[in-house]
Amino acid sequence: MLSYDYIKCTDLRNVFQELEEGQQVYPLAGGTDLIVGMRGGKFAPKTLLDIKDIPEFNVLEENDQGITIGAAVTLNEATTFAPIRDNVPVLAEGCHSVGSYAIRNRATVAGNICNASPAADTAAPLYCLDAVVNIVGSDGTRSVPIREFFTGPGKNALNKGELVQSILIPRPYPEGKGVYFKASRTGSVDLATVGVAVQRWGAQVRIAIGAVAATPVRALSVEKAVNEKGQKDWTEAARLVHDDISPITDLRGSREYRYHMVEVLVRRGLEQTMGV
Amino acid sequence: MSEKITINFTVNGEKEQREAVVGHTLLRFIRNELHLTGVKEGCGIGECGACVVLLDGKPVNSCLVLAVELDGRELVTIEGLSKNGELDRVQQAFIDHAAFQCGYCTPGMILSARALLDRKPNPTDADIDEALSGNLCRCGAYQEIRGAIKASSGK
Ligand code: FES
Ligand code: FES
Repeated sequence: MLSYDYIKCTDLRNVFQELEEGQQVYPLAGGTDLIVGMRGGKFAPKTLLDIKDIPEFNVLEENDQGITIGAAVTLNEATTFAPIRDNVPVLAEGCHSVGSYAIRNRATVAGNICNASPAADTAAPLYCLDAVVNIVGSDGTRSVPIREFFTGPGKNALNKGELVQSILIPRPYPEGKGVYFKASRTGSVDLATVGVAVQRWGAQVRIAIGAVAATPVRALSVEKAVNEKGQKDWTEAARLVHDDISPITDLRGSREYRYHMVEVLVRRGLEQTMGV
Repeated sequence: MSEKITINFTVNGEKEQREAVVGHTLLRFIRNELHLTGVKEGCGIGECGACVVLLDGKPVNSCLVLAVELDGRELVTIEGLSKNGELDRVQQAFIDHAAFQCGYCTPGMILSARALLDRKPNPTDADIDEALSGNLCRCGAYQEIRGAIKASSGK
């Protein structure tokens, strides 16, 4: 049996005191990573702070700024939200790639990035979309670009006492197609061996890759070749991705395999979004 | 710590008030406190789907939910599907199509299928595969399971 205190918070104002004064206080939203981690001994919370019914964290809306995804919004809710499906389908694909259907009924988009796994399936799409992470603490709110939110494997930009309140997908939305490709051992319900998001913006492209470095990365060398130097040979362009990544060997794949797969998936992504 | 919290919830249509141990999962609570043993533990880490129940109508892995999180919510287990002694259409179809061998995965499979048919009465093969993506059957009855779900479609 696991041992901890459980506190349910439904008022955002009461969250911070618990977070700041308590020892080893873990926020609980979907719980899908947290509970597995507690069982495996990776996390040893003294207190679980259930935040999933705080109204501010349940916002899922589109307005002039873009699309706001509250911290308690599940992956299935995000995947089926019409503005996400219609305007940024690459993100719907990323959300849909996480775990199984039942897992996605609990797991949240914010949880996926807060764990800061370099392999997080929502990360590469969010990097392509220049998403903004809205953070809330007792001193108020601040926003950081998604690229600054991931700071290392399992590490994010949150300070003690802070929580992610929401993720913003800012307007303008991309013009053109976006795809998310995931290579994994089983074809589904597995962590990404590599994950590649390719998003067209008019004549330009943005590419982001997961599970090939300490954080997700943008393939800036490839983007530069295509966007600035007019490279139209996708095979040549995709080869440049080797400069952008530094994969390691682990149980999901070797370093060499990752280099190879990323190159293949970037080329395929360019073909499908920028035309053959 | 065996601290308990009083929770109010609905299980298979009945309102209940119980004490839930803070350190227990929903899976353990359903089996050991509610004595509804249709739900099974396979992996305990969200990988197999033997523990799937419907929480507010949605399939979830009860091994990854805390018992105390049931407060204020509506739970349906496999025991709650039949009405007045009549099996749910999906349950009957699983029998008609012999969609199991050992039956360990079956409660989770049927509940995932029921939720799918509730939101999409005429699912495609791809819809079925997606809805059951978290339900493993180590006896390998997948073809029959898909057949049973197709046979219960549209109704
Ligand atoms: S026991 Fe819950 S998914 Fe396996
Ligand atoms: S029937 Fe045995 S695991 Fe599915």
